[in-house]
Amino acid sequence: MYFLFTYTLFRCNLTSFRREYSVFPSHYVEPIYRKDEQEALFRSEEAMNIAHQQVKPAQITDTCSEFYDARVLKFINTIMRNGDRKLARTLVTKSFEEIKRIQLQRYHKAKTNEEKDNIELDPFVVFHYAVDNCTPVLQLINCRKGGIMYKIPVPISPVRAQHKSMKWLIEAAKEKDDEERFYNMLAKELVSASQNQGRAVKWKEELHKKCQANRAYAHFRWLK
Amino acid sequence: MERTVGQPVNDSFLRRIRKTHSRKFSTVVEVKDEQASQVCSFRTAENNPINHNTDHIARLYTVPIDIQRQIFQNGGLPGKFMKQVTTFQECSIMVRQPAIEIISYLNQVDYTRPVNKYVLYGKFGVGKSLTLCHILHYAFAQKYVLVHIYWAAHWFKDMKEVATSVLSPGCMDLPIDAGLWLKHFKFQNSKLLSELDLKVSKDYVWNQREMTSQGTSILELVEFGMNRIKYACGVIDALIKELKLASIAGKCKTMVVIDGFNAFTSSHTRIRNDNKVMVLPKQVSLAIPFFDITKNDWCNGAIVVTVDQTANKDRRESHLPRYLLGKEGFEHLDPFIPVLIEDYNIAEFDSMIEYYKDRKWIRNITSSGQRELELITNRNPFVLMDQCKFL
Repeated sequence: MYFLFTYTLFRCNLTSFRREYSVFPSHYVEPIYRKDEQEALFRSEEAMNIAHQQVKPAQITDTCSEFYDARVLKFINTIMRNGDRKLARTLVTKSFEEIKRIQLQRYHKAKTNEEKDNIELDPFVVFHYAVDNCTPVLQLINCRKGGIMYKIPVPISPVRAQHKSMKWLIEAAKEKDDEERFYNMLAKELVSASQNQGRAVKWKEELHKKCQANRAYAHFRWLK
Repeated sequence: MERTVGQPVNDSFLRRIRKTHSRKFSTVVEVKDEQASQVCSFRTAENNPINHNTDHIARLYTVPIDIQRQIFQNGGLPGKFMKQVTTFQECSIMVRQPAIEIISYLNQVDYTRPVNKYVLYGKFGVGKSLTLCHILHYAFAQKYVLVHIYWAAHWFKDMKEVATSVLSPGCMDLPIDAGLWLKHFKFQNSKLLSELDLKVSKDYVWNQREMTSQGTSILELVEFGMNRIKYACGVIDALIKELKLASIAGKCKTMVVIDGFNAFTSSHTRIRNDNKVMVLPKQVSLAIPFFDITKNDWCNGAIVVTVDQTANKDRRESHLPRYLLGKEGFEHLDPFIPVLIEDYNIAEFDSMIEYYKDRKWIRNITSSGQRELELITNRNPFVLMDQCKFL
């Protein structure tokens, strides 16, 4: 009995070589759930290639809604703690509402048409500006050379840079008094970051400054 | 990498020149805002609810700011709607079928007969309270004396203070709530009452030293209640009786507007007496006068109430009046005219979306996006407001 069991395990390992954690085998194709992407797929030859392949089921957050934004979804996931997506989603929606209220108040206060045109009322656009403005281009990594720890500036990957910028925005919003609400502070932070102000942008600039100061060690990157 | 909001567009300079140019040299007369709003499909320039009729259905009218301050100063508009009012910088209410129906009834009814009762009912978030606000504005414009409770459940759920009643033994007083209601009453009616100059018909003795003698004006009675909130509940009782008498005598017209009336017939309150036993609404001295005024033993007035699932704790499964009021409450209000309020129809939904676009609350929404909103919200006004918040 035991022999048979080990034999099957061995066979399994022979066929796949690597144990997968996912329920779905690796030859399953990722689902395409946006309508425009589907249309583009059917127009191309790619559709014929994957026509008879097996497809993974769509995730709970995958939607063909008009109001879907991949980056906002990423932001929701970054805020999320303990898998509480509902709460994270509420926080982001409420802060977007607050962005609109802040911007509309400024819009009504503005006297000339030119001033009014300059105020961005779309919370999604404000959010994108804010994340773009907080995205760093370099990062510092630690490196031990001759018993001394050096901080070496290296280029940062786009995914990591975006994550860092989102983290800064959230962290900046979390530094608040007890009476203040997180979503209100986040809204204020997003609005000010979209205008290149605020704490999150400052942290990015500080990092850039540090990288500039440590530029003498930059060549350690190749010496490792 | 770095971008800022509102980078100047290339042709903005040219556009500016064109704008100033046309303003200076064009012979076209500038269209005024009022005229422009008349052309709008989703707005009506008719801001007086007396003139509202079926032509104005599915359009929004704006409550003038001074009237809004006078009627809704101490509450009346729902909290979330109030937030929209401050953001949009105007208080716009949609003219809808049920409000028009009740207004037309009020215009045609024979006021020498006993009062009619109108009960608004509907699912959560269909706009019962805002319809009530529209009718309240109508009553204000028609110079009714307003007896308005903006949310009856407040008294039994989050009351300020509870005391044993001196004037009506065996009952509980809510002195601070009663004082606040008197303030609300005075705010809404002070102008009208000073014009009408109603007098108290008999002596009311509060204690050995203080009394309100026959012939003092009603406003003085109200002010006494506001200053001595220990007797505020008794003052409300007296005030309601006086208003009934005055209406029967034809001195004034009275409009009773109560939001969430089924809170009065609920079998659960958070009020406890000295022995820590729950007190039902009919043993609360503040509620008794309002039971009294919703009877139909008087004339020259009207009663408009809503029943709401969220107003009571024990009955929440259906929105129908018989279930929400219970047997006793139903028999108390019977006979009444039930008015159902439903979700938006297509025209109302479209004009609401247009209104949101006009107020810049949502921008550049595609037709398929609008269709999606329609499906998600099922055209429910409250859910629509909620869904549009983050767009």
